[in-house]
Amino acid sequence: MQATRPERGSARSRRCFQVLPAIAFAALLLVPGCGGSGGSPAGTQAGQGPKVTVMARSVPGVGQVLVTSTGYTLYLFQPDGRQTVTCTGVCAGTWPPLMLPSGGVAVAGPGVKSSLLGSDPDPAGGRVVTYDGWPLYTYVGDIQPRQATGQGIDLNGGAWYVLRPSGAPLIPAP
Amino acid sequence: MTAPEPRGPRRVGRRAVLLGGGGLAASVAGAGTATRALTRPSAAAPDPSGVIPPDDDLMREHGVLKRVLLCYREMIGRVQAGGPLPAEDLHDAALIIHDYIEGFHEGLEEGYVFPRLRAAGLLTSTVTTLLVQHARGRVITQFLLARATPAGVASADARAQLAAAMQAFDRMYEPHEAREDTVVFPAFRQIVPAAELADLGQHFAELERQQFGTDEFTAMVARVAGIEQALGIYDLSQFTPQVSQYSPQA
Repeated sequence: MQATRPERGSARSRRCFQVLPAIAFAALLLVPGCGGSGGSPAGTQAGQGPKVTVMARSVPGVGQVLVTSTGYTLYLFQPDGRQTVTCTGVCAGTWPPLMLPSGGVAVAGPGVKSSLLGSDPDPAGGRVVTYDGWPLYTYVGDIQPRQATGQGIDLNGGAWYVLRPSGAPLIPAP
Repeated sequence: MTAPEPRGPRRVGRRAVLLGGGGLAASVAGAGTATRALTRPSAAAPDPSGVIPPDDDLMREHGVLKRVLLCYREMIGRVQAGGPLPAEDLHDAALIIHDYIEGFHEGLEEGYVFPRLRAAGLLTSTVTTLLVQHARGRVITQFLLARATPAGVASADARAQLAAAMQAFDRMYEPHEAREDTVVFPAFRQIVPAAELADLGQHFAELERQQFGTDEFTAMVARVAGIEQALGIYDLSQFTPQVSQYSPQA
């Protein structure tokens, strides 16, 4: 049995933003879970609004890395360059970004430094949770928690890596 | 073997295709148009806008995938017969998979089709398997791309490894795409109202244009046809069997 994956809701919100300009109301029907996300800035006081928790956990094959509150591995996209969300459109179908809900706040779970959490605007709308400047994404190929099947994959225009709690990407030696 | 058709494909570099260049893309544009017309289900009313329904779009992309699988099969056969493995053809074929199938087509499925089916509680186990297979396929493609160099195919062991990887890829994707075409996409079409399908078809077209420019499908067909020709498998008639031994008079 698979664990529930609430972050998928965030991905759906992103889908709405991508689709809305093109097909407006139809997208609301097409994509379940569509809802407004006003792009709340990072740094909202803890305790206010919905929370998105990032935590550290040991994942087989890659060790201690950042994961969602439900244990799904988080990745960085190298072309983002620690400063901007570049995985949009079709890319975000494969790598759903970890969205910050409207008025929400990113919370540091066990093993994670709250000082490294933040958010970046998503060109498709809303904000994406960042860690040490890196926008965070999940991978649809990870069908259950504690998998990192996207580690080291070169896809959608660049490489994808898991992150250590220090914020360092796990880049394999050549 | 018959001579190539007068307007058959010639090899087109990826760069030329992505830049929208090359007379080839233009020369096969008519064929692309014909394909669009033929792949539209007869039950669906023709869309005057010319926008292809999303499931039709995904199925014709499967046609490109299928042709790359045939290229892989040809190269597997050559390795198994003790022959050389053309590194450039392998690289070009794997690159189509990487850029077009894994980097685009599968993203559409993962972002638009599978979530909708899951939300409707349909084919959830199948969708999970398809997602796992996408992920495994990407690993294999990365393996192929990294080794599709003259040095990478130099030894018999290396060629055998590459052939095994291609075989695993073919073995997985043949039933994968068949299941999507016959079960997954029809289910998707059933749960999405016609107006939404039309809007989504338009959105898919816009995403294609953003990523590849105009006529991306035609360009991909031209690229895979060029690889087929280099491998000597472009001429369709060569696959027509002799049937005298099966005839009632035999």
